[in-house]
Amino acid sequence: MKSISLFLFFCFITSPVFAAMNHGGMIMDEKGMIMNHNPDKLPKDCKEISEDVNITIRGGHKFAKDFPGKMFTYDKRDWQVPPCARVNVTFINEDDIRHQFMIHGLPGYMYPKGMFTIELYGKGQKTGSFIVPSRDYTYYIHCEVSQHTEKGMKGQLKVGKGSGDLDSILGLSAPLTPDLYPINNTHYTWLALIFSIIIGAFLIRLLTGLFTSKHSEP
Amino acid sequence: MPNKLLYYRLIPVVFVLIALSIWLQPEFFQRAAGINLPNGQQPQLSQPLKVEKPCVDLHPEWRAAQVVDGVEISESLLCEPDNPYNIAAFVLGMNNISMRTLMSSRIAEDALIKSDDLDGDGDPDIIRIKLEVLELNGATPDSPGVFPTYDIAPGIQPGMWAFSPKLRGMSVKNFRSLKANAILRAPSPVIRVEQGDKVYITLENTHYFPHTLHFHGVDHAFKTSTGGDNDGVPVTGEKPVMPGATRTYELQPRHAGTMLYHCHVQTDKHLMMGLNGMFVVEENKPNNWVQTFNVGAGHVRHSSVAIKEKFDREYDLHYQSIDKNLAKTIQQSNDTREISKQMHRVYNMSESSENYFMLNGHSFPYTLRDALIIAKPDENIKLRVANTQHSNIAIHIHGHKATITNYDGVPVNPAAQITRDVYDLSAAQRVDLHLQTTNDGLHSYGEGVWLFHDHVEMGVANDGMSPGGNIALLVYESMLSEQGMPTVLREDALDDVMTNSYYAKQRPLWGKLEAGELAPDYLRIILFGLLIGLAIGLAIFIVRGLNKADS
Ligand SMILES: [Cu+2]
Ligand SMILES: [Cu+2]
Repeated sequence: MKSISLFLFFCFITSPVFAAMNHGGMIMDEKGMIMNHNPDKLPKDCKEISEDVNITIRGGHKFAKDFPGKMFTYDKRDWQVPPCARVNVTFINEDDIRHQFMIHGLPGYMYPKGMFTIELYGKGQKTGSFIVPSRDYTYYIHCEVSQHTEKGMKGQLKVGKGSGDLDSILGLSAPLTPDLYPINNTHYTWLALIFSIIIGAFLIRLLTGLFTSKHSEP
Repeated sequence: MPNKLLYYRLIPVVFVLIALSIWLQPEFFQRAAGINLPNGQQPQLSQPLKVEKPCVDLHPEWRAAQVVDGVEISESLLCEPDNPYNIAAFVLGMNNISMRTLMSSRIAEDALIKSDDLDGDGDPDIIRIKLEVLELNGATPDSPGVFPTYDIAPGIQPGMWAFSPKLRGMSVKNFRSLKANAILRAPSPVIRVEQGDKVYITLENTHYFPHTLHFHGVDHAFKTSTGGDNDGVPVTGEKPVMPGATRTYELQPRHAGTMLYHCHVQTDKHLMMGLNGMFVVEENKPNNWVQTFNVGAGHVRHSSVAIKEKFDREYDLHYQSIDKNLAKTIQQSNDTREISKQMHRVYNMSESSENYFMLNGHSFPYTLRDALIIAKPDENIKLRVANTQHSNIAIHIHGHKATITNYDGVPVNPAAQITRDVYDLSAAQRVDLHLQTTNDGLHSYGEGVWLFHDHVEMGVANDGMSPGGNIALLVYESMLSEQGMPTVLREDALDDVMTNSYYAKQRPLWGKLEAGELAPDYLRIILFGLLIGLAIGLAIFIVRGLNKADS
C-alpha cells in the first residue's frame, strides 16, 4: 500500500508526464483514473505479445437511444482479440456524468482483483493497456456506476474463440431474467386461431378417410 | 328384459353409498384436536436460520480520536464509526488532502472542491459540491435478486434511492459480492456549509430517471446568476436534469440552521424513495472548516466552531419511511419505461401506507450499529432532528427531557423555549434539541441504556414486526462495550431479532415452538375411499350392463 501511494504521489505531482510513464498500477487525476494499467508485463502463459490491438470505446446516454427502455451503454459491446494481445483501450465518455470501462476475470496475479478499469468523472477520454492471457475466454466489461450495467452498459471481450456469449448484452444476448410484455392481440389473432382449428378438423377427416379406405380396399 | 330390471334396482344402492360417504367424510385440512392439543413443532423457514453478530467489528481503528491531514476527528465509540479519511476529505475538500487519504476513500477527486477565503477569516468560502444518484436493491437482468444489496435490517432489502457525494471505483465490496460498498447507503448525506459560503452544488444525474435538487429552507435565489433554474421545480423552472446530464445550483445562505434538500420531480414518489437529506448551515466563524458531508447522518465527528463552543457532541438524526409497494416498483423490471409506469402511474400515493421506518438509513436492530447517541454525565449534546416521512413522528428519549432550541432552523426566543419529553415533527419539519445529561431528575435520571424512539407505534416495527423501525439507544459510555454495543444486554438478547427469519415473520417469539399439526385420521379416510370406490365401480357396472342389455 505504501509503495503504491508513494508511486501515486509521484504520478500526482508529475501529472503532465503521465503518457510518457510506463509503469503498472494506478494512475489518477481530477479527470478520472486508470487501474492496473499494464503495457509490458506478460501473463505466465504468453511468451510474447502477439499483437497490438487498439480499441476505441465510447460510452454515454446517446448510444442507448437505439435500445428502447435502456438508458446508458457503449457504442460497441462485443470485442474480439487474439490470445496474448496487448489491448490499448481508449475510453471516451460522451456524458457529463461518471462512466467506467471495467473488465473482470483477468489473472489475479497480475491484475489485483482480476480487474482493469478506466474511469472518467465526466466528458473526456483516457487510454490504458492490458495484456490478455492465451486461453479462449469471454471477459465481462461493464460500467459499475449505480444501475448503469443493469440499464444497458455492459459488453464482452472475447480472447481467441472466447467461451460463449454473456447474458443481457444489448443487441447481442437476451437477459437472464427477462421482463414480460403484454401481447397486442387483435381480432385477426382470434380469426387465425379459429381458422386453424377448422382446418385441423378437416385434416383429421381427410386423414381418417385415407386410413379407412386403405384398409377396406383389400 | 329381466336382466335390465336388475340394473335399475341397483341404482338406489349407488345413492345410498354416496350418502354414506358424505356422512362419513373425514376432515382433510383442519379439525378440532379434542381433549389433548397437538405438540409444538419447529417453524418452517424459507431459508436456513442464520444468527448474525450484533456487531461485525470491521474497523476498530476508526473509533479513536485522531488527526488526519491536520483535521481533528473526534472519538466515535460506535460499532460502525464513520471512516476518518472520508471525514478529513469532507472537511478539507478533495483538492486539499493527501494521497493516503484519497486512496482510503471512495470519493471522486472532483466531488468536493474548497477554495478562496473570501472574507479572510481562515476558512474556504467557495464550495463546489457534486452529487450523484444511487439506487439500492434495484432490479438486475442478470439474476432474479436485487443489486447492490443494502439491508436496512436483517433480511430486509427494499428498493431505495439516495443522493451521494460523487464516488469512484467499485460500488460493491468486491467482484464476488452483491453487497453495496459502505459509502453507498441511505439516507442521502447531510450537507453542511458555512453561513455566507458561495456554494455551487452540481447534480450529476447518473440515474435512469430525471431528477432535480430543491433546497428547502436554505436561503437561495429563485434563479442562478446566469438566469438558470435554481429552485428545482419543473413546473416553475427548467426541465428536470435528464439522465446523463448535469445542472449546477447556487446558494449563498445568509441564515444558519437545520434545513433540507430533496428532488422535486414527481416529488411524492421521488422524495419517499429517499431523494431527500438534511442541509445544515453553520454560523460563520473564523477558521471554521465544516464537514461538508455526513454520510449516513448520525454522529458529527468534526463539528463547526459555533457548535464546539456550546456543545460536547453533535448528532444528525434523520427519520425516513418506506412504502413497500412503492419500493417494489424498481425491483420488478429492467425496462425504464415499465419502471416509470409502475412508479408514476400505477402506484397511487393517495393509497399509500408506510411499512418500514428508519433512523439514519437503518431500522432496529441495525440502528444499534451506527445510530446510537453516546453520552457521558454532565454533557451538552446537540441533536438535529429531521422528519422526511409523510406521517408525523413523536420522538421520545427514555429518562431525559431535552429543550427545543430551534424550529425549522430558526432559533426560539430563549425565554419561550420548551423542555419536554416528546418532540413532534410533521412532514419535512426539523427541530434542534439541547440534550443535557445532568442527573437532576428533570433533564436526566442518570446513566443508563435508554431507548429513544418514535411514539407513533407503527414506527417501531418493521412491516408490523416489532421491535424494529426507528428504535435506537442513548447509551452512557460507562455502559458501552469495546465494540460499541450496550453492555447491560443479556448475552443472547439480540439472537431473536438478528436472524434472517425473524422479520420474515417465520420465527415464533421468545424461542417457543409453533402450534403443531394433527395426524390424518386414516381410519375414516380409508372408509371414505372404499365407499367412493364402491359407488363409482357400481355405477360403471350399471351403465355397462344396461348398454349390453340394449344391444
Ligand atoms: Cu456508466
Ligand atoms: Cu427525482
